Amino acid sequence: MSRRRSKILVVSALAVLLLAWEGAVVLTGAQASWPFPSGIIRSGFAITADGTLLVALAGSLQRVITGFLVGALVGIPTGIAMGLLPWVNLAMRPVTESLRSIAPIAWIPLAILWLGVQGNAALFVVAYAAVFPFILNAAQAARAVDRNHLRAARALGAGPGLILRAVVVPSTLPTIFTAARIALAIAWSSIIAAELALGVKIESGGRSVAGLGQLMVATLYVKRDVNALVFGMLVIGLVSFLIDAVLRRLRDTLLPWARR
Amino acid sequence: MSPANVKVTHGATRAGRARHLLLALRSVLVSVAGIVAVVLIWSLVGRLLAHPSLLPSPVAVLGALRVLLAGEIGADILASIVHLAAGYSIGVVIGLLLAVLCARFENLDVFIEPVIEVLRPISAIAWIPIALLMFGVSESVPIFLIAYAATFPIFVNTLDGVRRLDRLLLNAARSLGASGNFIVTHVVIPGALPYVLTGARLSLGVAWMAMVAGELVGGDAGLGWRIMWYQEFFAMDKVMAIILVIGVLGFVADAALRGLQRRLLGWNPVES
Repeated sequence: MSRRRSKILVVSALAVLLLAWEGAVVLTGAQASWPFPSGIIRSGFAITADGTLLVALAGSLQRVITGFLVGALVGIPTGIAMGLLPWVNLAMRPVTESLRSIAPIAWIPLAILWLGVQGNAALFVVAYAAVFPFILNAAQAARAVDRNHLRAARALGAGPGLILRAVVVPSTLPTIFTAARIALAIAWSSIIAAELALGVKIESGGRSVAGLGQLMVATLYVKRDVNALVFGMLVIGLVSFLIDAVLRRLRDTLLPWARR
Repeated sequence: MSPANVKVTHGATRAGRARHLLLALRSVLVSVAGIVAVVLIWSLVGRLLAHPSLLPSPVAVLGALRVLLAGEIGADILASIVHLAAGYSIGVVIGLLLAVLCARFENLDVFIEPVIEVLRPISAIAWIPIALLMFGVSESVPIFLIAYAATFPIFVNTLDGVRRLDRLLLNAARSLGASGNFIVTHVVIPGALPYVLTGARLSLGVAWMAMVAGELVGGDAGLGWRIMWYQEFFAMDKVMAIILVIGVLGFVADAALRGLQRRLLGWNPVES
């Protein structure tokens, strides 16, 4: 089958599927409890037009990026130290391995207690989720730095600062970039989880909606709009798709030597 | 090892072994020191925070853990394991089945892969509200989320493994007159197995996270649900004890699959 023909086939098959879905829901008169394509589009348009979606999206993204940066700031130096210095690795590995096995979302109650419901608790969960990909990958990359390069630099009289800058960073950068992709993907799904968990709490207190997760909780319990819920889900998927695409493009332009 | 060490006599090897032992002992000590340091910092911070219920001390958490282990936590662990076993096996079977279908029938592949690619970026977490709507607060929510999360890694890895099969081996088997079944059992399965197992491990990792999140937000039993339960009572020592249990169980599950991987694939160690 040629590429072109198979593409046409897929698109038409999906179109038929969507039409069948729409038809089934409309004909059985189940519009109230089942999502359907045109309803999803209508609800999506409504929450986009009145700005609630954009405000929530901005709130979530802002927390994701902050948590991601905190994870990078903590994780990259820790990982590099673990990769370069055997005793740091010995001391830190059991700690990171045991902390890594804990699902980030499980920290929610304590995070709420320490940081409050306002959104900083979600931030904590995101940073916690993002830090481990950075640690693991940075450690692996630092371990893979060519020992001869290190020795050569040392023999030529380079100080630790120069060695880090001129040898360790360039050689670990591609792997760290991969770590960033993984971390950002995990961070994005953690923020939604955290906001959903928080949202259940916030909603009962009648507080304002803060992020995409909270928006969905409100949609679920207050508005009971299935179509908006599906639309929110699609937005979540679209954002994680875009994050990955942008980071991949970024890697190819910033680190052309790492292209595969 | 330096050249001087090569010409060792019997006594010198014993000395070498002793030094080896000493090094091993030192590395164990450093590892233990790392954990001790964390526990010390933890109790110090707890003390500085003025209120013990904000960050229960390690001793308090251990005490809570002992109480939990003696009593009700068994039922929660069991509930979580049931969720995980049900959801994970559903997800793995669906993922494997779809991957095999895609690999076997190119016409189906054209339809299945785009659908998977659309769904894959939508994390299991994003389904929680819909799952709540569909199933209500019940065990179906975590099971659904676990199954959904587990499907993708094993699908992607299995398909990748089948596609990367060595053409040469396939052609050789075919030209030597092997039957279709024989090729599947002797070439395709051994060749794809490393990828399948890697996929199974990745699936378990995401399934574990989905389990905790699903139980926490939409379940009525299990470890994740129990965290929220104790939060209602402001029993932070018990919350932390359960977090500890989740961590340990997650670690054990991953270690078990890693062991299985090593056992089944002695001939082909895959980078994990």
